[in-house]
Amino acid sequence: MNSNLVIIVLTQALFYGTPIFFAALGGVFTERSGVLNLGVEGMMLVGGVCAAWSSQVIQGSAWFTVSASLIVAMFTASLVAAVHAFLCVTLRANQTVAGLSITIFAGGFGLSSYLANVWNVAENQVPRQVRKLNVLGLADTPIIGPLLFNQNILTYCSWVMCIVAMWYLFRTKIGLSLRAVGESPQTADAIGINVVKYRYLHTMLGGALAGLGGAFYSLAIVPTWVDGMTKGVGWIAIALVIFGFWRPDLTLFGAYLFGALQALGIQLKSRGVGISGDLLDAIPFVMTIVVLVLVSTRLAHRRIGAPAALGTPYEREER
Amino acid sequence: MIDTALHMSGVVKRFPGVVANDGVEFDVRHGEVHALLGENGAGKSTLSNIITGLYRPDDGVMKLDGVPVSFSSPRAALDAGIGMVHQHFRLVQPFTVAENVVLGNPETPFVIDSRSTNKKVTELAKRFDMAVDPSARIWQLSVGEQQRVEILKVLYRGARVLILDEPTAVLTPIEAEALFRTLRAMTAEGRSVIFISHKLDEVMSVSDRITVLRGGRTVGTVDRKSTSTRELAGMMVGRNIEFSRVVRHNPGNPQETVLSLSGVCGIDDRGRPALNQISVSVGRGEIVGVAGVAGNGQRELAEVITGMRPATSGSVTVGDKVLPNGNVREAIKSGLAHIPEDRLHTGLAAGLSVEHNIALKTYRTPPLSRFGMLRRKAISEKASGLVTQFDVKTPDIATPVRLLSGGNVQKVLLSREFSTDPLVIVAASPTRGLDVGATETVRKRLIDVAEAGVGVLLISEDLEEIMSLADRIVVMYGGRLVADMPAKGVNRELIGLLMGGGTQEVVQ
Amino acid sequence: MKSPVRLERRLYQPKRLNLLIPAASLLSTLVLGAVLLLATGKNPIDVYWRMLERGFLSERALTGTLRTATPLAFTGLCAAAAFRIGVINIGGEGQLYMGAVGASLVGLWLGGSVPLGVTIFAMVLVGMIFGGVYAGFVGVLRAQFNTSEIITSLMMNYIASILLNYLIFNSTSYWRDPRSFGFPSGKPLDKRAHWPEFDMFGIPVSFGLFIAALTAAMLWVVYRRSKLGFEINVIADSPRASRYAGIRTKLTIIAVTVLSGAVAGAGGASQVGDFAHYLDTKSLQLNGFGYTGIVVAALARLNPVGALFVAVLLGGLTNAGFSLQGPDFPSGLVGTLQGLILFCAVASEILSKYRVRYNRSAVA
Repeated sequence: MNSNLVIIVLTQALFYGTPIFFAALGGVFTERSGVLNLGVEGMMLVGGVCAAWSSQVIQGSAWFTVSASLIVAMFTASLVAAVHAFLCVTLRANQTVAGLSITIFAGGFGLSSYLANVWNVAENQVPRQVRKLNVLGLADTPIIGPLLFNQNILTYCSWVMCIVAMWYLFRTKIGLSLRAVGESPQTADAIGINVVKYRYLHTMLGGALAGLGGAFYSLAIVPTWVDGMTKGVGWIAIALVIFGFWRPDLTLFGAYLFGALQALGIQLKSRGVGISGDLLDAIPFVMTIVVLVLVSTRLAHRRIGAPAALGTPYEREER
Repeated sequence: MIDTALHMSGVVKRFPGVVANDGVEFDVRHGEVHALLGENGAGKSTLSNIITGLYRPDDGVMKLDGVPVSFSSPRAALDAGIGMVHQHFRLVQPFTVAENVVLGNPETPFVIDSRSTNKKVTELAKRFDMAVDPSARIWQLSVGEQQRVEILKVLYRGARVLILDEPTAVLTPIEAEALFRTLRAMTAEGRSVIFISHKLDEVMSVSDRITVLRGGRTVGTVDRKSTSTRELAGMMVGRNIEFSRVVRHNPGNPQETVLSLSGVCGIDDRGRPALNQISVSVGRGEIVGVAGVAGNGQRELAEVITGMRPATSGSVTVGDKVLPNGNVREAIKSGLAHIPEDRLHTGLAAGLSVEHNIALKTYRTPPLSRFGMLRRKAISEKASGLVTQFDVKTPDIATPVRLLSGGNVQKVLLSREFSTDPLVIVAASPTRGLDVGATETVRKRLIDVAEAGVGVLLISEDLEEIMSLADRIVVMYGGRLVADMPAKGVNRELIGLLMGGGTQEVVQ
Repeated sequence: MKSPVRLERRLYQPKRLNLLIPAASLLSTLVLGAVLLLATGKNPIDVYWRMLERGFLSERALTGTLRTATPLAFTGLCAAAAFRIGVINIGGEGQLYMGAVGASLVGLWLGGSVPLGVTIFAMVLVGMIFGGVYAGFVGVLRAQFNTSEIITSLMMNYIASILLNYLIFNSTSYWRDPRSFGFPSGKPLDKRAHWPEFDMFGIPVSFGLFIAALTAAMLWVVYRRSKLGFEINVIADSPRASRYAGIRTKLTIIAVTVLSGAVAGAGGASQVGDFAHYLDTKSLQLNGFGYTGIVVAALARLNPVGALFVAVLLGGLTNAGFSLQGPDFPSGLVGTLQGLILFCAVASEILSKYRVRYNRSAVA
């Protein structure tokens, strides 16, 4: 009986963890360039509502509709992120408040809800959804079957993305320059690396990935649009970037951990266990604070800290 | 001459109010270590900035291997083969040595194979007698090792002329030896090294030729073999310069001590020793001048005395009170005034008004405040009074100090510090960057306050200023006080020698 | 081709910016909002007029507006107080919740056993203590360990939210009404512990709003005339100069953060005492007063008295949104406009750092 619960939770962990991972991976790219993005929740919701709308509006085969919807979601979310980049990089505004403004603007009480209303998205179920795959027909293998071979297609995509992201960040020249921009924009600028370009592009990439995460919600988790359906997951994704020490692989692990907590909470609540649900809900947030304190101490800061220039607008010093 | 790698002639560079380079002549040959010597303000940094493309000269000719060149940016200079190793490193701390070396280099391939880049870096380092671990992270390295990375960065780009700006300022003697070996390896390959320094003994041990700058001009270029530290010191500070010593009506009383340091030791921001057993005292009404080239511990000295930096051992006494370590409030309360080097960002809150800045240290007590509330009228009256008394030119007392000219900013600082009725004033570079009029005013004020019985510890890079104002002179070098002598009849050459690390015995 | 316009760094900020920038923000919001409305097939004039009516002009409008403005004033003051010293406290939401928890505890406990004045005093005090301590945690982490207060205060919001749910939905706590079986809800306060309402020109004004106004006035006095305000100004301008002057910088930062949380906590007390009369977790979490408070603070450019007026303005906007909600009026418009305001306020801040200058030779 108990092992059944464990398997269900683990399997569901990958499911719930996937959109968190997408959003957090986007956050990793953005923060590695030195820009703090607190607008993730808003970008996810915009992506979600656009995906739901596209899915209802675009005619065609399932594959086509779903793929197109995902692309639309990523595109619109990246536009929102471009606005954030404009505020933070060009106007050198306070990045925290800028991100908050994006979340309030685009979030559950904002633009995403407005668009849902205008497009009448919530009326019907989303016709085309992202489906689960049965990889190599092994879905029914005991234990690892449902865990590894019967996941959603986007989950498999996320594994590939994680590998590509690690390679991109740590083994390519662009990744090196990106990390330099986030650690020491003065040094990068002096060498001739275009700080502005890197920040804009990676902020928009972060937005696109957040949009993808949001699309997962409206196309896979709950295939009917509900205002504010991400319920704060965007904030967890932001915390996850820190929790994963700005590395895609640890972020994936962290996303599944949080996903597991979410899944566990759902399972326990459905079995009528009250208190554990709340405690479990609180753990991610408490954990983040603990990790943050550890990361802030100078010793840790050198080894695994945040990109040194994170959150600070860059202004080239006039001679 | 085919032998010449870099040729500079008639180089002029003007800034508002000062001619930094006034017709400089400078030649560097292939395969030589050429030292560029001079005091602060002599024009060394300006010249090196011109060579490396940061500044464009207003006049003059620069030739690289016989071909006239003109650089529009540091990158252009780097591409042409001139590289600079700065005093303040530009390294990405969490990256490895190899990553820092290849960063931004157009020839680095898209996919970075760390094994092959590590190998390349190690080989390059070995060629120049440097020991590095290419996979070590910068924050793990000592300062000397970090400097090696900076040098490697420039060598990796194929620099043929390297400029090192005060490279041994942050090195231990052993690290300095290692650096010199590297420089020798570079010149053995025919590369040229320009070595900017103020340390006479080092210059004598590592360079082939030495050019001395003073007042923006080239004093002369000599062969190391045919000169001595004494001669260099003389060239640096100049002989036969008339300066008038101030006549004191109330010369200070060294017996009545107002400030005394005993065995003070301290470390700098990087954790390295900056002050070593400093013991000195200032008497009532005495002006004690601390001479020395910037970077020998002066900043840390001022900060330790005033409580902004905790000392690691030793004690500071003001009047008859021993100050608690690292406590600014107590220092202020005991009668210590501080005119810091960094006026606008430390001594004043630049965005706040003149009147608020004047209240900056005294707002806590009556008459400027009572029951936790400020007394606005008292503050503005005090401010207006001081502004008039010190002739501060400002539209009104509500103007942010940031908008005032340099001289007036300093006057605001002075007026505030003097008005706290201090026992002793620590003044660091009080006339730096000020025009002639403001300089005169500040110096006069310092004399006046000393005449009134306040002790003054004057820390200044301007030797002339010290020689004309001080009653007693101490010299700082490498965090130590290397001399303590009455100003009357002192030999300027001697001071110059001491500032460069020489010793008194040599002069006899 | 050179841009015809260039930005030149300002040397100082003329006082008129305090009105100019918020006005510019509001104006640009209205323009951008109109564009959005038009693009989605709605008439902006019509929508704005109806919002103006329902927010301020119609008969019951001001009542609702002031009711919404009350918590916004508290959270706006909370955010402004912290931002002023450079502490980005976005935990006003959680600090408000904690204040509500503390105040309802005291309110339930005292009931009608003591005079109303004492009850109100106790509720506000305890609310402030709960909110202040909750924020103090964030302040200490920031001052001692240099931990980002942005993330920690945000996390604390979620923890507070979970606590609220726990107290009412998932436990039989002191706060929970034992009589509510179908849907759990908070225990109501004794009627004698309800805060009074005052009549101002026919409009009921809650006691909390007076407290907020008083707080704003006190903060204004602190900033302009007190030693603490002086120190805050110095720290905000130059932390190095504050060390030079012997100001206890770390302590001041913690103290201001605690103060900021205490103000939000008072807002929570007001929610319980003025309006809900029980710990209404659902409504508290739905409204997001803490986050809107940040919009208030930003638009008011951190000025405490300005925050009061902006709170009324945003209260009107929010209230109009509530009462207009229906098939005809799009939900989400209020949030969008609020976000746009904040957005434009942030963008307009660039005017405080730079001036717009026209290049004479605009054509190459």
